[in-house]
Amino acid sequence: MSVLEVQHVTGGYTRKPVIKDLSFTIGKGELVGLIGLNGAGKSTTIKHIIGTMLPKEGDIRLNGVTLKEDTDKYRTAFSYIPETPVLYDELTLREHLELTAMAYGIDKATLDARSEVLLKEFRMEKRLNWFPSHFSKGMRQKVMIMCAFLVNPSLYIIDEPFVGLDPLGIQSLLDQMDEKKKEGASILMSTHILSTAEKHCDRIILLHEGRVRAQGTMADLRQSFAMPYATLDDLYIAMTKERDHEELA
Amino acid sequence: MKNLRDVWSSRFMHYIGEVQKYMQFIFTGHIAIVLVFLIGAGGYQYSEWLKVVQTDFPAEVLIAVIIGILLAFSRPTTLLREPDQVYLLPLESKMSLYFSKALAWTFWSQVWIVAIVYIVSIPLLKAVTELTTVEIWTIFLLTIVLKYLSVRGEFSYRYSERGQMVWVDRFIRAVIFAAAIYMGLHAQLLLAVIAIVISVVYMIVFSKKSVGEPVPYEHFVKLEQNRMMSFYRFANYFTDVPHLHGSIRRRSWMDWLYKFVPYGKENAQKYLVFRTFIRTDDHFYLWVRLTAISAIIAAFVDIPVVTWIVAGALSFATTIQLKQALLSSGEFRMDMLYPLPDHARQLAVKQIVRLAMISQAIVVGLCAMTQPMFYIAFIIVLVISELTSKVSK
Repeated sequence: MSVLEVQHVTGGYTRKPVIKDLSFTIGKGELVGLIGLNGAGKSTTIKHIIGTMLPKEGDIRLNGVTLKEDTDKYRTAFSYIPETPVLYDELTLREHLELTAMAYGIDKATLDARSEVLLKEFRMEKRLNWFPSHFSKGMRQKVMIMCAFLVNPSLYIIDEPFVGLDPLGIQSLLDQMDEKKKEGASILMSTHILSTAEKHCDRIILLHEGRVRAQGTMADLRQSFAMPYATLDDLYIAMTKERDHEELA
Repeated sequence: MKNLRDVWSSRFMHYIGEVQKYMQFIFTGHIAIVLVFLIGAGGYQYSEWLKVVQTDFPAEVLIAVIIGILLAFSRPTTLLREPDQVYLLPLESKMSLYFSKALAWTFWSQVWIVAIVYIVSIPLLKAVTELTTVEIWTIFLLTIVLKYLSVRGEFSYRYSERGQMVWVDRFIRAVIFAAAIYMGLHAQLLLAVIAIVISVVYMIVFSKKSVGEPVPYEHFVKLEQNRMMSFYRFANYFTDVPHLHGSIRRRSWMDWLYKFVPYGKENAQKYLVFRTFIRTDDHFYLWVRLTAISAIIAAFVDIPVVTWIVAGALSFATTIQLKQALLSSGEFRMDMLYPLPDHARQLAVKQIVRLAMISQAIVVGLCAMTQPMFYIAFIIVLVISELTSKVSK
């Protein structure tokens, strides 16, 4: 059964839709990469999934329910790491973790156990009483990552996770993602770092001008572009060129 | 933008517009009235004191030190902005034109402070010294010249040293200027001129040193940001400054209060809103300010009806402003995604506002203790707050 089902979703900010008739699914334990140029509709797609934007047409189901049908179940099913960290200036790191745990109904003992592991993994144990104003961009990102992994949901939605993180941070994040996958969680990750996406994603969704241009495993994509030895970078460039040709023709 | 002169004028117009916008609020606010009374009372006290002041009062030293210190504070207003470090870089060699405009404004915008202080002290000088009117006004001119030198001096110092140890520079200038004024006040004009020459030399040293140095954009931009920030923060006492993100303070002495919100899913929003209220200066000082006014009126005004009306009005103002401030939600916040009931935030805000208003009622009630029926003020604060909270959106 799919964890996330996006079915024929059209939506955007104004009347002119940014995403058009978008359909894809993410299965249990799958890591799916959402790839596209700036303005292809990645962020808009994510906003629709997390429910800050509502689709004009189509349905988005998480664990079988739409946001309207069961808000609580829908929201408990995912955690989200935004591209730009969104923190509360007035809360310390410890309080960010505590607030997240409270909101998702995690008991104190579980909070303590999980946050100890995460703090160690991301080397933030000594910064528990710090306020975000004293954090670098990478540290702020780490706070978001820790809050997301604390929740232990069925689906992680991660927007451009590698920008601003140091190499150790990137490795820790990839390790965490790997571990959660093994435990059966699914991950939707949007990124521009194609080599990492190629290496780690089970499937790739190529988004272009608001539509799904191609999706599948690397083998599927190579086949559909008829480029048997291509890297994801090659495919990506081929896709953008192909569309340019079509527009010129 | 055609040249740097235009850059300066467009910046300057924008800056003046910004200052004017907030000045309106400052001068129509309630604190302005308090200031007028304070100045009036201070002036009266001063004139009474002049009638009895002894002739051995050390007016010269006092005035020299005060004017010297005031002169030394000559922070340049450059109106530089962060992008300038990139976009104005090719014009580096022509920046002196821009800076001469900036320094002219710095001088005229600051000189009136020393001028007023000196003019206010003239009656004192007449009372305790034997200076003639001409001498007194000559020293006034000396002060103005020193201010000009100080503006140039501080700018050159900051330019050549990138603002490092500016306090040492200020101290040195303050000593030289104070010495010059002191000599002047003792009618030792020759010595005063020597002090001026020393300060000119001091200025030239750093001015020479800064020749060929790259423009210290980083330092000047930071200086500008700090200056605008302190202006906005000041204006924020009178009105709501939109782009002022309320500064945050831990206030750890109030940490014990958070224990009243126990760990649990149903308390998540309350956990957040409580800390937002206590730690955001805007919200917290709003409560402190209005509670203090209400309490002072309750303590010192002997007409119960007046204290009740004030307590009611301020209870209304505190409740409605706090509620709106805590509920405002322009930007995306993570708690918008939390699996909590839709009204959780509203409920939390309502409860925290209630807590704040019970505290206000207690403070005002205690301050009204000496009056008959003091408990009425307490009840009025609570009832008005509850009604406001119910009726307002």
